[in-house]
Amino acid sequence: MTTMLKAVNIQKTYGSRGNLYPALNGIDLEIQKGEFIGVMGPSGAGKSTLLHVLSTIDSPSSGEIQIAGQQILSMNDSQLSDFRRESLGFIFQDYNLLDTLTVQENIALPLALSHVPAREIKQRVQQIASTFGIDDLLDKYPYQISGGQKQRAAASRAMVSQPELIFADEPTGALDSKSAANLLDNLALLNEQEQATIMMVTHDAFAASFCKRVLFIVDGCIAMELHRMDSKRQLFLQRILDVLASFGGDPQ
Amino acid sequence: MTLLRLASRNLLNNFRSYFLYFASMVFSVLIYFMFVSLKYDTTIQQQVSGSLKIGSAFNGASIVLIIFVAIFIWYSNSFFTRKRKKEVGMYSLLGVSKKQIGWMLFYENFMMGVLALAVGIIMGAFLSKFFVMLLMKVMGYEAIGHFVLSAPAVINTGIVFLILILLTSLHGYRLIYRFRLIELFQADQRGELAPRASLLLALLSLIMIGTGYGLSLQNYMESVIWRQLGFVMTPMLILVLVISGTYLLFNTLTVYLLGLMRSRKSYFWRGIHLVSISQLLYRIRGNAMILTVITVLSATTLTAGGMAYSLYYQNEKSILLSDPNSLMFLSGGDAADTKIERLIHESRGVDVRYHEKLSALEMTVDMSSIPSAITGSKQVFTVIPVSSYNQLADWQGNKEKLNLRGEEAVVLDAGYSQQFSPAYQGASLHLHAGKVTRNIHVIQLCPYNVLNSGIAGTVIVLPDEAFTILAAQTTPVPMQIYGLDGGRQEARQLADTLKQHLSESSHLSSQAEDYSAGMQVFGVLIFMSGFLGLVFLAATGSILYFKQLTEAHAEVDRYAVLLKIGVKRSEIRKSVYQQMLFIFGLPLIGGMAHCVVALTGIFRLMSANIAVPVTICMVVYGILYLVYYLFTGHQYYRIVTQSATH
Repeated sequence: MTTMLKAVNIQKTYGSRGNLYPALNGIDLEIQKGEFIGVMGPSGAGKSTLLHVLSTIDSPSSGEIQIAGQQILSMNDSQLSDFRRESLGFIFQDYNLLDTLTVQENIALPLALSHVPAREIKQRVQQIASTFGIDDLLDKYPYQISGGQKQRAAASRAMVSQPELIFADEPTGALDSKSAANLLDNLALLNEQEQATIMMVTHDAFAASFCKRVLFIVDGCIAMELHRMDSKRQLFLQRILDVLASFGGDPQ
Repeated sequence: MTLLRLASRNLLNNFRSYFLYFASMVFSVLIYFMFVSLKYDTTIQQQVSGSLKIGSAFNGASIVLIIFVAIFIWYSNSFFTRKRKKEVGMYSLLGVSKKQIGWMLFYENFMMGVLALAVGIIMGAFLSKFFVMLLMKVMGYEAIGHFVLSAPAVINTGIVFLILILLTSLHGYRLIYRFRLIELFQADQRGELAPRASLLLALLSLIMIGTGYGLSLQNYMESVIWRQLGFVMTPMLILVLVISGTYLLFNTLTVYLLGLMRSRKSYFWRGIHLVSISQLLYRIRGNAMILTVITVLSATTLTAGGMAYSLYYQNEKSILLSDPNSLMFLSGGDAADTKIERLIHESRGVDVRYHEKLSALEMTVDMSSIPSAITGSKQVFTVIPVSSYNQLADWQGNKEKLNLRGEEAVVLDAGYSQQFSPAYQGASLHLHAGKVTRNIHVIQLCPYNVLNSGIAGTVIVLPDEAFTILAAQTTPVPMQIYGLDGGRQEARQLADTLKQHLSESSHLSSQAEDYSAGMQVFGVLIFMSGFLGLVFLAATGSILYFKQLTEAHAEVDRYAVLLKIGVKRSEIRKSVYQQMLFIFGLPLIGGMAHCVVALTGIFRLMSANIAVPVTICMVVYGILYLVYYLFTGHQYYRIVTQSATH
């Protein structure tokens, strides 16, 4: 097992002098290659902040972050862009597909930006789209398809460049339960088959039960960690719900 | 009164966001006021009082300016109100009545308008003096502008702008009634659906423009269409064809070409092209109208400016062509001639280079053997002997010596036009004088003259013997010809002095005087077209600027996504500038093409060489336009990247 992400003593403070608010308070975290890790916690606990900081979209106040052996905090703007494009994939709650592009073009975007030859792009887009079951939607525009289909398109875009690490920020937040299950099945499958490393922030216990490991964040600290091991998903869901109940959080 | 207070508080607190709108209002007032001030300025009115042309040029231009300023203010006003939709929606949500909101917006707009009016007039008062002096200089006057704030100019500007402000304020008042609450909260409407291009329409646009171009390049005299439709309808037809063709071109051909690029994956799927081209496609339909307007405005500006500057530029050349001698007049008898000669020798700053007394013949010649569009069946010629010609040609320089014998003759025509003038070369004509009739054979045509056109028309040069025979049968016309060295200003003063001593019938023709008369008319023309050109440029640039920034605000989210998934800022900058290049470049190229065709059509009649002045005009316009492009690109980039974190 190789370490994909290593974060040491991450602090993130908002506000200015005299009125400081710590969002992350000394987080240590390691993610191994091929892990599917979920981050849960009540609203305002700092899960999204953690994801933003780890995914280079925001920078921590202090601490160290290493992804795939590279110190991301010492990179400049342009290096970060390259790094994000080549090593990271993003799935957002509101899809963030470009409505000026067709589904196919949206998925092709990261590869085009990396100047991959057109023929190879076509092939890889086709492949990932059929994995997510949207290969018959490739020529449609985002406004012509459903939310679940949009999220699968967004996931395809995140995965098409075969990134080292995929960050998913409440990916099922805007989906109905059937679409959500469909997407999560696909993510779990890619995790199993392709050894894709995924970190997913969610407040939905059902979504978290697809992960191999779930972190619970309360008040900017990691309060608890659950490992699924070889248990059934249904059982794991029950354990997650129990933990949430013990925090007094909202189980649904 | 609380509404009024809310309105003024809004103005003060949000001045930064209102500034752009305010500035464009001030700019409009400033431009208009300066222009009207020039019109009413006493210095200028005195100097040009005789010239009807200049007065009507000013009137025509001020109407154009009013229309333009109205469109411009209307446009920036709607940009401004669109930005405030959300705020208006918020008031409505808080329970303020529609009527109150309407009045609040009305007050706000009205206050701002009046303030802009005042600021514009004050700034204009200072700048006008400068412009009066500039105008005088271009027109070749030495007078010093003693500018005072002119009351009629203030009243004129005040009335025009109060009406405009009232209209836009009413428009603001209506805002709350025009939209449902939900519409006020939706930031910017979703862009149009992906446009579908029709190859047929794209081809039609090219055919329309091509036909328009073809028509304007046709020979006016020979073309069937021009003759059938006349000189009013044909230009109208050309305008309609070219303008609607331009609109179709932007609406379909661009879509078609962009679509073609999109389907070529090896190009489209390379780097940031994917983003640039799809963005352009997404927005092009909404931009087609505005691009057409900008194209037409650019073409108008360039054509007017190019024409005026060309005339100005040509003035010196054409004066030298039509007035080869510094002074020329018909003799008023020996005594009078001697007096004039003394005056000339005595005048300061002017030296006589040559003085010639020439006796010429005026003869009416039957032209039926060489008919043409501009001469009747008979034409009056001035006939001179070859020895006099050679003498004058030698003094004037650059003109070839002639050697004539027997029936040979040479025609001199400074206004010769290949299309319209009679085909002199090789023609045989008959000269009648008293009982004598002589046949002459024109062996050569020279497109210049040795006599000033104010006195002599087209000249026939004959061998001395032939001239003597004809001269014996008719009364020669004695002419006095001077070539002077010295300053133009002194020569003009001399001409003024001579006029007092010469009778009307001596037809004094002065090179310096004709030159400054030309400069007066062309100077005003070039100043006015330069002035209007600057206004048009500023306005077209600003319209594009407003439009693009409106879009930039709507695009922020899209670019934020791009930044998140790892597009570099430098790539986004490149993409933004690519898109702006397309938006700014198309109308500029279109406008320049239209202008070149129009000017070629117009100036072919005058067979003048306009390449240099028109190129200078285009380069200047292009540079100013480039500044707008760079500025808009920079602002656009700033807007779409500023809100993104990191």
